[in-house]
Amino acid sequence: MLARAIEEAGLPTSAIVLIKEQAERVKPPRALFVPFPFGFALGKPGDSEFQHRVLAAALDLFKSESAPVLAAFPEDADGPVRLIQASAARVDVSTHIDIEPADEVTALRGYYERWVEDHDGRTGVGISGVPHRQWRGLMKYLYAFAHGEETTYAEMPEGITELRFLKLVADDLKSFYMEARMCQRPEQQDNDLQSWFWAETAAGTMLAKIAARLNASDDQTTKRAAFGIAR
Amino acid sequence: MPRLEDLTEVARQGHLNFPAFEHTDAPFSQLTKPLTEVKLALVTTAGLQVRGDTPFSNNDQSFRVIPANTPARDIIQSHTSIGFDRSAFMRDVNISFPVDRLHELVERGVIGSLSENFYSFMGALRNPKQIEKETGPEVARRLIAEGVDAVFLTPT
Repeated sequence: MLARAIEEAGLPTSAIVLIKEQAERVKPPRALFVPFPFGFALGKPGDSEFQHRVLAAALDLFKSESAPVLAAFPEDADGPVRLIQASAARVDVSTHIDIEPADEVTALRGYYERWVEDHDGRTGVGISGVPHRQWRGLMKYLYAFAHGEETTYAEMPEGITELRFLKLVADDLKSFYMEARMCQRPEQQDNDLQSWFWAETAAGTMLAKIAARLNASDDQTTKRAAFGIAR
Repeated sequence: MPRLEDLTEVARQGHLNFPAFEHTDAPFSQLTKPLTEVKLALVTTAGLQVRGDTPFSNNDQSFRVIPANTPARDIIQSHTSIGFDRSAFMRDVNISFPVDRLHELVERGVIGSLSENFYSFMGALRNPKQIEKETGPEVARRLIAEGVDAVFLTPT
């Protein structure tokens, strides 16, 4: 759809598409269908040769003298099919997590910082605008919110609602924990990370409680926000 | 494909019936020069942004500008969903936004050059009318003004 809008303005486009059936309906001018999971458009993280093969196939479509063209990339790549959500991961939780989220963040910080250092400063953390070094106060606020208290976070960025802030902070927390865990246990993949976060960490437990509190609201906007947090 | 046959029936039907702007044909613009002379732009719908820029929100149909020389460490993703595994992007930004690969292609002489700016939209929008009519064409105008010859698009 976006490719069509750009092509209509006069610029040739080539697009990677992940759902062939969708591309057949929308008809982008030149599309390379790849058999990879969502989140893996170029196929394999860290494999530049594989990514170059995908790119070459997509750029090759510029030779086409008519549109639409829908080509298929011949190679496959592995990836997760379905991620475990908070509710599924937490079904059989019997372990008692005996640490406060604020202390857990402190305990994981070394791993997180090593991950960032090993990745040339790259990190997914930073959506909420609150630096992770200032998360102790943030975690206390979230913990109080999770436990049903009336609470406010004094340093909430201006111009956004509390619901929006909770969603952004939840995303930052998940990124921080996943990157720390990938450093700590490099062999862990997708659902290992999801299960660990939701079933074995104090932060996952806390976010699930926050989602439960939001979900108990009669207000539909608040209910919807819960959906974005607990997954 | 993300192996629709491996998904649950609910998820599979969700994808197959995802609202789409259906068409019977496609617009076509011929590339008028060889790739070795082309100035290429990268446009993504992976919900990416430069660190510090405003995150995408629900049904957000605006776009973000990502200068082509932005270091990978300053590109972050505000598109989060159980529908895809974010750890791939955490491990390697090129999985959705192949900036390093494109710079390598320029160094190898496969493509001429890259545009000054790349652009990013949110993905998985159910009714992207505003992108179709307003923000998509606006990005196209900006790309043309920047002297771009061709555009490569990547999804989430």
